[in-house]
Amino acid sequence: MSTHTEGVRTMAHCPACGAERAPDAAFCEQCGHDFASGVPTPAAAGPVSTRAGETQTRHAPVRAQTAIDGEESPLDVGWTGPLVRGDAGAAAALDPTLPSAADRCLQCGTGAFLDGYCDTCGAKAPNPRDHFAESPAEWIGGVCDIGRRHVHNEDGMALLGSVRPLQQGVLVVCDGVSNTTDSHIASLAAARAARDVLDDPVPHAMGLPDLLVAALEKRLAEAVVAARHAVIAIHPDPDAPTPPSCTFVAAIIEDGLAVVGNVGDSRAYWLPDAPESTPRQLSQDDSFAAEQIREGMPRKQAETGPQAHAITRWLGVDSPEDLTPHTQSVRLAEEGWLLICSDGLWNYCSDADDLRTLVASTVTALGPHGRHPTTLAGALVDFANAAGGVDNITATLARVGPTDPPPTAPPQAPALPSQSPMPQQSDGEERPDGPVHE
Amino acid sequence: MAQFTSEVFQNEFLADGGTDVHAIVRVTCAGAGQTRLGGEVDAAEILIVDTSGSMGPNGILQGRYAATVALNEITDGTWFAVIAGNHVGTLVYPAYGPQQMVRMDARTRQEAVNSVQMFRADGGTAMGTWLTKAKEVFLTVPQVVQRHAILLTDGTNEHETRDQLTWAIQSATGFFQCDVRGLGDRWQIEEARRIASALLGTVDLIPSPDRMAAEFQRLIKASMARGVASVDLRVWAPQGAQVLFVKQVAPDLEDITTKRSQVNPLTAAFPTGAWADETRDYHVAVRLPAKSIGQEQLASRVQVVVDDQVQVQALVKATWSNDDALTTRINDQVARYTGQAELAAAIQDGLAAKAAGDDDGATRKLGRAVQIAASSGDEEMTSRLKKVVDIDNAEAGTVRLKKGVERLDEMALDTASTKTRRVKK
Repeated sequence: MSTHTEGVRTMAHCPACGAERAPDAAFCEQCGHDFASGVPTPAAAGPVSTRAGETQTRHAPVRAQTAIDGEESPLDVGWTGPLVRGDAGAAAALDPTLPSAADRCLQCGTGAFLDGYCDTCGAKAPNPRDHFAESPAEWIGGVCDIGRRHVHNEDGMALLGSVRPLQQGVLVVCDGVSNTTDSHIASLAAARAARDVLDDPVPHAMGLPDLLVAALEKRLAEAVVAARHAVIAIHPDPDAPTPPSCTFVAAIIEDGLAVVGNVGDSRAYWLPDAPESTPRQLSQDDSFAAEQIREGMPRKQAETGPQAHAITRWLGVDSPEDLTPHTQSVRLAEEGWLLICSDGLWNYCSDADDLRTLVASTVTALGPHGRHPTTLAGALVDFANAAGGVDNITATLARVGPTDPPPTAPPQAPALPSQSPMPQQSDGEERPDGPVHE
Repeated sequence: MAQFTSEVFQNEFLADGGTDVHAIVRVTCAGAGQTRLGGEVDAAEILIVDTSGSMGPNGILQGRYAATVALNEITDGTWFAVIAGNHVGTLVYPAYGPQQMVRMDARTRQEAVNSVQMFRADGGTAMGTWLTKAKEVFLTVPQVVQRHAILLTDGTNEHETRDQLTWAIQSATGFFQCDVRGLGDRWQIEEARRIASALLGTVDLIPSPDRMAAEFQRLIKASMARGVASVDLRVWAPQGAQVLFVKQVAPDLEDITTKRSQVNPLTAAFPTGAWADETRDYHVAVRLPAKSIGQEQLASRVQVVVDDQVQVQALVKATWSNDDALTTRINDQVARYTGQAELAAAIQDGLAAKAAGDDDGATRKLGRAVQIAASSGDEEMTSRLKKVVDIDNAEAGTVRLKKGVERLDEMALDTASTKTRRVKK
């Protein structure tokens, strides 16, 4: 184990924020800048807040048309209004840095984080990559969590939602394969690359539903390719002993139609509220367990067997040739939840009926916030952690039907640094089409 | 301005319930010599030469010569003085006019060289009075904060009480640094260590008078190279934790734990004296309340501080793991320095037992020393040990005490025990 720290000349003012520094300070009292590192901390890097503000203007106009410049067709009815990203400036946040010095240590309640550690109890500052939430719209939200046992959070997620419910939405979850190198970087890069592909609205195919499904399925296949490229870009060497790899599951929602696609064993479920409607798993696992189930083994036995988590397809430099996602579509015509999750959740509740029961009881337990997607996703993550949290846990939800407001205090740890302050939390006045919900 | 860098060597992984974190913090200073040459640092140097009767004609002759050599090494502009020590400390140079330190130049050097020719072997030994005199002389130039002395003795501190010496050492502690050199075999290593340890200096043996000049030259050269007057090592440990010890482990072994002074409730400062362009290794041990598997935390921030300014910081970490492959590994640096510290203790305890007539204890301790030296491949220490014991089985540590051992060999073994060898990365 060895670490190396460069010595620096001392000075009287903080190089990051200009505040006067105490003679014996190793870190700026004002902004937490580490005088020994020379690298400004996130708190000191001014552009963070403005970057989030820019997002609205940067992304909205780009989505005003669906075809390339000059080739727009009247049939391209993909205009969905301004979209709000779950995470502003995503690219900059692939490797989340330290939280700001202003954050108090949760372990001792008194200390502040100076150099990644609490100045009172020495607790490690929470890594924002280990737990983050996204709430791109009132009807879409998700939580990605390290769980209890893993050293890294190798799950990644990326969400997108139009202001008007069910108009357009994207939910992507990628689960990094844990015995490969840098899978925690790869999974987030993959999820975001896929989201960016799915973000492009599709031509609405003259209103023909079958053609729309086909277009969305094609788009999902393109997203898989983009996600794989993002994974490979992390470690392009095909001969690396353990190149990063991950699973893929995504849902794309267009005007009340959801199409899901998956590669690997991360899952999508449709969980209608009404007891008389049948909940179902939309994704198909690429796993030995799934093969065994298809051959007749009971689900529970197969999914808890020794090979349960061995997947037969994944995204990576060494992935199988055929990466056509399994796809399934569902018309979001009745109230319910579309759940996109990693095995960190379904390990503890795999059957669609059981999941619906879990979601229903969790919604009830959360009371006035039960139908807030991010709050519910956080509660599902808590459930998986309480059950053991053996793997990383990601739960993302799209709500069909009425939603509830979030608790006033954010239920989740701060999101990735680049996305705070979260624009979507305070964008009521800026909505072009006004509040949609009751 | 000197630049400090630091490196940490540790195995941060603790087993379930583990509490003790050990780390070697390597601190390197660069650019200190430039500072000194550039005249940014004002420094004062005092030579304290034993002129007691026991020095004899040859000792005095070599003492004069060694002092002359040392005076020639002191760079121009340095404040200096020469003290002759017997049962009192006497300022030999500057001896006339206002008795205060002067700056070195061609004239003062020549005057000082003339003065040391007047050394006479006469009187007893009271080192406390020498230290008190040195402090008094340093105080004549109070604005000079970098103060260093060389103390040469050839005998036991017979002409004052142990308490008097203790009081003089305490009075000088934190005020000036002092390297102590013992000539021949009639001085007490324990006394010299008390002085040098408190005054952030080193102890060594000069076996014969003709070796004095070379040693003086080396010491003055080293002192002149120190361009950073005073460096503190600050050790932060989290609330509820305990700093078990802080030891300098290279180039010399010195437990500095007791030198601590509290900076704030969680941080203690340990003085390390003046620095040249050099590297020193510190072994820091911290006891933490155990945390659960998978938790990571900071065990210590180790900072190098000059004039209340943190120059560099090293982070010592702890991570609890149930992976035996991670937790059972001992960092090589930590292991080797721990071994060298144990070796030093075994040698010193063994020689002390032998001097007290406890042959069984001495055989056991020195046997253990032989065992450690052999297992770590320390051939130099093994050959020194061989002059004191006959080795039956180095691996098992079975030895017999030699008859008629030269006292000089024992003393050489004792003084060498605290010199450590840096472990390669």
